[in-house]
Amino acid sequence: MTANTATCRCGQLRATAEGDPVRVSICHCLACQKRSGSAFSAQARWEAHCVKCEGESRQWVRTADSGQQTTYHFCPKCGSTVYYGGGNFPDLVAIPLGALEDPYFEYIDYSVWERRKHPWVRLVGEHIEHRD
Amino acid sequence: MSHAASCRCGQLKATVTGVPVRVSVCHCLNCQKRSGSAFAAQARWPAEQVAIEGRSSSFEKISDSGNRATFYFCPECGSEVHYDNNGRADGQIAIPLGAFDDPYFLEPRFSVWEERKHGWVEIAGDAVDHMD
Repeated sequence: MTANTATCRCGQLRATAEGDPVRVSICHCLACQKRSGSAFSAQARWEAHCVKCEGESRQWVRTADSGQQTTYHFCPKCGSTVYYGGGNFPDLVAIPLGALEDPYFEYIDYSVWERRKHPWVRLVGEHIEHRD
Repeated sequence: MSHAASCRCGQLKATVTGVPVRVSVCHCLNCQKRSGSAFAAQARWPAEQVAIEGRSSSFEKISDSGNRATFYFCPECGSEVHYDNNGRADGQIAIPLGAFDDPYFLEPRFSVWEERKHGWVEIAGDAVDHMD
C-alpha cells in the first residue's frame, strides 16, 4: 500500500494518507474558489482511518446554506489548508491535491458546480462525471 | 471601477481599481501547494491601485532565484488575499483570482510552468500565451 503525504508550505502541518483515495474531485463553487484563490478547488478524499495528521493546525468552520458544517485545518504559520472534513462526506477526510507530495492523478472522478466554471478552464478526459 | 477581494470569513479585504498589469495562471509545485489546486490564478496591480484592510499573518518564501515573496493570509480562516513578489514584480500586489467576490471579470493571458500542468486540465483562449 502506498502513502501520499500532504504538507503545508512551511512543512510543520502534515497529513499522510494510506492507499488509494475514495474520490478525486474538483469544485467550481465560489466558496471553493475563495478557499483556493484559484478557478476551482481540487481534492482527494480518503476514509478517515486512512489519514494520519501531525503538527499544529488552526480550524475554520464553514456552515453551508444547507446547514452542513465543514471544518478546515490550516497551518497558522503559512496559511496552507492541509485537510478538512465534514460537509457532504462526514466519514471522509479531504486533502487539497496541491498539498500532496504527489498531486498528479491520472484522472479526476467528478467536476462539480460547473455552473460556476470559468469559461477558460477546459477539462479533459472521458472519466470525468460533470455536474452543474 | 473597483473590485473587492476578501478572505472567507470576510475580515481581510483588498480593493483594486483600474486595470491589472498581468493576469496569469501558474502550474508550478509551489503555486499548487499555495492554492491546494491544480494551478494558481492571480492578477497583479500597481500597489497604489490596491487598498488593504483587516488583520493578516504573513509567510515569506525565498525562491531558488533569490527573489523574496511575501504572502498575506487571514489568521482566522487561512485564506490568502494578497502577496508581493519582490525582485520580480516590485511595486506590484498580486491577488488570487478566487479571492474576488466576482472572480469572472478577468481572464488569464499567461499560463506558465505548463511542464507541471495536470493532464486533465487545459487553459483555453486564443489570447493565452503558454509557457513551459
